[in-house]
Amino acid sequence: MITRSFIKGFLCTALLAFACSAAAAKTLRVNIQADPAMMDPITYSELVSGRIIENVYEAFTTKTPDGKSVPALALSWEPLQSGYGFRFHLRPGVKFHSGRTFTAKDVKYTFETLLDPTMKAGLGAEYLKNIVGADDVKSGKSKDLKGVTVVDDNTIDVAFTKLDVLFPIYPIYIMDSGIVAEQGPDWMTKVSAGTGPFKFTQWKRGVEVDLTANKDYWDGAPKIDDIRFLIVGDANTALAQYDAGELDFLDVYEPIYQRVLGDARYKDQLLSVPRAQSRYLGMNQKLYAPFKDKRVREAVSLALPRDAMIKGLYGGAAFPLNGVVTPGVGGYDPTLPPMKYDPVMAKKLMADAGYPDGKGLPPIMITCSPEYKDELAYYADQLHKVLGMPVTVNVMERATFIKAMNAGEVAFFPWGWTADYPDGMYYLAQMWYGPSPYNRARYSNPDYDHLIDEAQSTIDVQKRYDLYHQAERVLLDDWAMAPLPIEASLALRKPNVHNISNTPFGFSSFKDTTID
Amino acid sequence: MVVYILKRLIGIVPVLVVTLIVTFGAIRALPGDPVTVMLSDHSANVEMADRLRAEYGLDRPVLQQFVDYSTHALRGQFGFSYRYVHVPVIEVLGTGLVISPLLALAAIFLALPFGIIAGTFAAVHRNQFADTAVIVILVIALSIPDFAIATFLVYLLCIKLGLLPVAGWGSLAQAVLPVAVLAVPSAAYIARLSRTFMLEVLQQDYIRTLRAKGLGERLVIYRHALRNVLIPVLTQAGIIFGGLLSNTFVVETIFNIPGLGRLAIESVFARDYPVAMAVVLLFVLFFVLINLMIDVLYAAIDPRLRARMAAA
Repeated sequence: MITRSFIKGFLCTALLAFACSAAAAKTLRVNIQADPAMMDPITYSELVSGRIIENVYEAFTTKTPDGKSVPALALSWEPLQSGYGFRFHLRPGVKFHSGRTFTAKDVKYTFETLLDPTMKAGLGAEYLKNIVGADDVKSGKSKDLKGVTVVDDNTIDVAFTKLDVLFPIYPIYIMDSGIVAEQGPDWMTKVSAGTGPFKFTQWKRGVEVDLTANKDYWDGAPKIDDIRFLIVGDANTALAQYDAGELDFLDVYEPIYQRVLGDARYKDQLLSVPRAQSRYLGMNQKLYAPFKDKRVREAVSLALPRDAMIKGLYGGAAFPLNGVVTPGVGGYDPTLPPMKYDPVMAKKLMADAGYPDGKGLPPIMITCSPEYKDELAYYADQLHKVLGMPVTVNVMERATFIKAMNAGEVAFFPWGWTADYPDGMYYLAQMWYGPSPYNRARYSNPDYDHLIDEAQSTIDVQKRYDLYHQAERVLLDDWAMAPLPIEASLALRKPNVHNISNTPFGFSSFKDTTID
Repeated sequence: MVVYILKRLIGIVPVLVVTLIVTFGAIRALPGDPVTVMLSDHSANVEMADRLRAEYGLDRPVLQQFVDYSTHALRGQFGFSYRYVHVPVIEVLGTGLVISPLLALAAIFLALPFGIIAGTFAAVHRNQFADTAVIVILVIALSIPDFAIATFLVYLLCIKLGLLPVAGWGSLAQAVLPVAVLAVPSAAYIARLSRTFMLEVLQQDYIRTLRAKGLGERLVIYRHALRNVLIPVLTQAGIIFGGLLSNTFVVETIFNIPGLGRLAIESVFARDYPVAMAVVLLFVLFFVLINLMIDVLYAAIDPRLRARMAAA
């Protein structure tokens, strides 16, 4: 009897707790897959942290849900008269979460901190490498970053050793220069030092990260009061929490894509967009002699039925990609023709190249990390069926695989490259450009490299995009790779949550989100 | 007794040293290194990779890294996490240090009485309907894996009936399901053991003597027989506790509990060497300590063992 009344009381308490949490409805609850590795813009280097940091910190520009870069902390900018570089006019009247006013000094401070060799700085430091004097700060020779000049509180000049036309859209998050003096070097897990629409309040490791609305935000206070990022590692657990009403917005992880896509209940709550990730089948011409023949490369592409792959292999969670630049990224070319599937033509090309029905082809391994093993098996089977290509599957541990790809040691592999900012240059200048360390198939084409060099020094946006389109066609005409369907990014949104969107770069800002 | 405990405590040292060597070797033998994992797709940036490798001391010879790690660990310094930049290992372990052993202990304290009572009950009603019913339940509880039980309970209690939260940690309500899921297979195992031991004990001469003296059946079973069942069950309890500790890996993942088990998996995948090492050492320590505790408990139950320990 005692136990029964205890259980009853206990369940009532639990129910009450539920009711209470439902009443405080201005809190948005979202899942993230793991603890963020960091909460500050200096060491920032990974996706999960980015989800949180982009609500707390801001850069010169920000991106709209449709992939456009618009002014944020910088109002406008113009090229420097004296040489390579930009003069930025900063947004006046912006306040940090500490209440201090944002000025040009904070920009310079952030840049110098990012380059400081003792800070274990992450991705942000890489965007600064072309600034005059960056090497001296990086090597510890100087504390002062010579190429950055504070003209007045709202004007700052940034000079480069070589023109960097994309500099204004790099996501370099600016932090409050007064915070270390006030809070000490371990301020990162205590307070937030940004200007963004939300302030960091607490991080319960393994449980959640909480943000609260910045009522003084320069673009108007957010409509919700708080955001709770619940750390949920398991895909099924996250979905169960969403079903039980413990999450308002669900970032759907890959293992449950099919479950979510196949369930009619979720149809009206589903937000599906192509990721900002350019996917391809890499063919290294130096490691596998037949790939030197353009006809063989073309045949590989023609042997892959993209539409059937999207339906079958990806279960509908993918979008077609007909080139390199993905939709929603600056410089995307919507006029590119769809990828063709033509097994007859593919067979003919192989025969012309001297490999009728694959005869005479040396064996080749198709390699990738374990999460892509099904895909590998599919390619091996399909290429063998259509072209008679003797392909075997090679599954490699992820970090080892990435290392081998970076070293140019993998002959044949499907992979993707995720854009960090919304401009096609991110793909074009890194994936297929001769000198790039991320040119993993070691593709080399002087015509292409020349177009990229030209684009990198073209400030005019439309002219630059035209060069991207030309460069992209050079790659496609040469069958540098076989473009693969773009994986979808899926999210679920409860019907009472509005103004939230899933974009190629993750979720849009929660600034305008409302909850009924 | 005190001498015995001291002797056993000293015996823990070589166990930990061996664990240290094996874990260090095993974790370094894994393919991929922390910097590659950290930078993931950006790791072709050799300059950045080399800079980070030097900052974390990963550019030194492995033997030197081992000597440094061991000497620091001996002084109780476990260094900084690789994954969580600028955060000490102790802080990363944080509350997980308490959560996992707490889960395992709660489960075993739930499983022991349930299991022993069910086992005894079955033994006493040997070959009757009650016995068969208990055995059927035990077989079911033992053969369904815990993640399946968890999924079923979450669906029924949380999603359909809305009685308990699905996952998370912080309230008592959130602890109910994980502890229950952990306890079920252990309780079933203990029940099976208790039933077997009880049947064996009931065959003994002294039980016949007790009955011949006219002692009531209840006293015979619960006062005299049960005591003799407890010793072999307790021996197993140490092993069961070890199993429970490793089952927290699964339960913590399903119920999203920030314990050591989940941390162990995450740190291994992130190649967060210092955190992974600390977690393994802690698990071994828990295991050794709980076994010591059980040995001491024997003495409380069995006077013969007490005498032997005193003599030693």
